[in-house]
Amino acid sequence: MTGPRRLNVPLPATVRADARGRPLALDGRAIDAVRESWLVEDRWWTAEPLRRRYWEVVTTRGELVVLFRELDQRGGWYRQR
Amino acid sequence: MCSSVIVCVHLPRFALVIAAGGREALARGPAALAPEPGREQKVGEVSPAAEAFGVHPGMRMGEALARCATLALIPPDPLGVADAWEKVLVRLESVGAAVESTAPGVAYFDAAALARLHGGGAASDPAAALRARAAGGPPPWLEAVVGAVRTALRLPARIGAGPSRFCALAGASRARSRRAELVDGAAGLAGEPVALLRHRLEVEHLVAPLERLGLATLGQLAALPRATAGERFGRAGELAHDLSRGRDTDLRPREPGETLEELLELPESASGTQLERALVLLVDRLLARPERRGRTLRAVVLGARLVEGGTWRERVVFREATADAARMRLALGQRMLLLPAPAEVLRLAVDRFGPAHAGAHALFDDGSAQRTARLREAIRQARAAAGPEAALRVLEVDPDSRVPERRAVLAPFEL
Repeated sequence: MTGPRRLNVPLPATVRADARGRPLALDGRAIDAVRESWLVEDRWWTAEPLRRRYWEVVTTRGELVVLFRELDQRGGWYRQR
Repeated sequence: MCSSVIVCVHLPRFALVIAAGGREALARGPAALAPEPGREQKVGEVSPAAEAFGVHPGMRMGEALARCATLALIPPDPLGVADAWEKVLVRLESVGAAVESTAPGVAYFDAAALARLHGGGAASDPAAALRARAAGGPPPWLEAVVGAVRTALRLPARIGAGPSRFCALAGASRARSRRAELVDGAAGLAGEPVALLRHRLEVEHLVAPLERLGLATLGQLAALPRATAGERFGRAGELAHDLSRGRDTDLRPREPGETLEELLELPESASGTQLERALVLLVDRLLARPERRGRTLRAVVLGARLVEGGTWRERVVFREATADAARMRLALGQRMLLLPAPAEVLRLAVDRFGPAHAGAHALFDDGSAQRTARLREAIRQARAAAGPEAALRVLEVDPDSRVPERRAVLAPFEL
């Protein structure tokens, strides 16, 4: 290791969501409850603005997971915890 | 034995050329070095085209822009200039010169010390030396020394020589050919403009008042009694008078140093907490360098490349030589507050080493040194067994960030 390395880097996730973007299943497992949701907008003053909708969910196996969906052109779901 | 012959190597507009990215950029039109952020609003070095408009270094920015509306202000690059100038000084030292440098672009050394090294047969010919002295010309070996300097420099430098630094500087400022221009004392300086005093920090502020008083040349200043100059301008006046007579203080060459620096590229523009964490990492890495060999640090240079363009550089001299990371962070953290904009690269370099502290013992041994040594040894063994990633530390970079991956990084564990 030559220098510092980021921690908690987002990992791609397979998420099924409803029409309003609310997650219904994560990696094939149903989501039991959505505990919280929040929007993060950052670096809007740069050429690479960051816009994410975060969801804190509990799966049917009792796992607490933080997910987010990129709201820019790239899109895609990620998990992060 | 030869008496001193001071040689001045002058690279005109060195800082401006480096900041502009080359001499070609100066040919596009009038340009000047913009003031550093947070410093006095005065322009730095100016291009020849800007000089033609009456703009000169040290002029207030408002006046400079009033005189030349098309003046291009080049963002200063103190970090790049220091690096480039250090390379030039190292090249000069490579020919054996003991160099003194007061500012980037101007260096002095005593050529007499190099006469036997580079002067060839002429250095040991006393008859030739006497003939040259009688004719008022340069010593016969000077050309060979200057040739060696030019070969080492590989840059279009102006070179002057004289019995003192100021005489040598006057020679360099009017030298045009590949030969060194010799200015032999007051007589050689008499025709030079008083603007030459701008090259000396202690007397540069006297140029405008002297010109207002109608003293256009150094000869006119030298003709005044020294006491009169001192009465009107104080110590600076006396020094200016001495300089105009060809007298100057002794040469104080620097001690050739070694380069030890650490650099950290910041993934995103950093300021505030992020920058403090980066400083912690840099200090730890610099102190962990084996080349330090247990020595303390007396002075360091903190530098940054700014996101908006340009660089920032600050020399920090510690109250006493130290290798204590906490005390260094405290001292450097205060200077970090002066950073004018978010940085994308942060650099910490050793400017001067202090004595080694390995042999010193604490008056009251509290065992912390032993614990640190044991921990260091444990880390070394863990890394030897499991690889370099065996001992890491979680470093909070921006703990309050709303984006989780920016809050912490994994860094090598250093003691």
